[in-house]
Amino acid sequence: MMHGSSTHLSDEMLDDVLIGLGSAESERHLADCAECRAKVQRFHSDVHLFNQASIAWSEAQPFRTVRAVCMAPAFRMPVALWGSFAAAILAVAVGIPVWHYEHSLSVRQESGIVQEVQDSQAQIAQDNELMQAVNAAISPQEESPIDEYGLSESSKMHLKARPK
Amino acid sequence: MATNLLGSLRLASLHLASNEISRIESSEAERCRVISELDDIDELVRLHQARIRRFVTYSTGDPDLAETITQDTLLRAYRGRESFRGDCSISTWLTGIAINVTRDHLRSNRFRFWREVQSNGVDVHEMASFLPSDAVSPERQMLAKERVKTLYKVLETLSYNQRTIFLMKFSEEMSVDEISEILGMAINTVRTHLHRALKAVRSQLGASL
Repeated sequence: MMHGSSTHLSDEMLDDVLIGLGSAESERHLADCAECRAKVQRFHSDVHLFNQASIAWSEAQPFRTVRAVCMAPAFRMPVALWGSFAAAILAVAVGIPVWHYEHSLSVRQESGIVQEVQDSQAQIAQDNELMQAVNAAISPQEESPIDEYGLSESSKMHLKARPK
Repeated sequence: MATNLLGSLRLASLHLASNEISRIESSEAERCRVISELDDIDELVRLHQARIRRFVTYSTGDPDLAETITQDTLLRAYRGRESFRGDCSISTWLTGIAINVTRDHLRSNRFRFWREVQSNGVDVHEMASFLPSDAVSPERQMLAKERVKTLYKVLETLSYNQRTIFLMKFSEEMSVDEISEILGMAINTVRTHLHRALKAVRSQLGASL
């Protein structure tokens, strides 16, 4: 559809031509209409100037290489490897004692060492009884032979002052 | 007669299959050639850095940011060169990567991005001064610079999508289909953005359009 009563392309048709999606009708019109053709050429000329200036500007910018950055993974790998080594060492450092403990526990269970542990508990109880007996033997509640025979008043005073 | 016809058909089908095989082989050979071209990082930078920098600079409006995005784009392309399928040119492929890198940057630094753009805008006078003289008269040269500046100022007023699509179409010379595919946008949406951008350009560049 041509623009209004004139015979020129409408803005939409012109845009379609510029985008590269012009209809056959538009193309036929452009072939005949110098005015519309000039509009299209002027647009392309402006865009061409912009592209020329902008690419020249871009090319004039300092050249930067990305090679150094590209090589970065090669230097990052050892870091990753060091991390892996550290993790492995930590796993070994923690794992071996844990394994050793569990292993020794199971061995003890199998060989009756637990019985020995129980024996030592009985020994402790026996020692405690002995200690209690010693305490009872030296307890002040039990009358001293000195007191029994009234050998010394001072010794009684001394016993009273002794902390319980 | 029937035997001759069958024989001709068999020959024709063999010919077609042979053509198809050679087409696949040649496209695979082309892909291998391009991948080996991508293997040389220096060559990749030499051939494409300026074009990507130009595209990103004028789509984001920030030369400093464009420098970072350009480096990131080339790096991603180099590292992901095996993923290049060969169904488009390297330029188109790189432009797609640049757009994705820019989007990532926009997502993660949206507010800082727009603040930076405000302060680090393109120096359009400097850019226009790079216009080749081509031995034309000083008057025409000055007029050309003015038109370049005007076009850039119009682009500045467009939305990011409109500006990017305009540059993809008219600077990168990509088809509407390619733009649609790279941006993941419907063809009609791409056309709408282009129409709006062209309307703005037309209104600013005056009666000549």
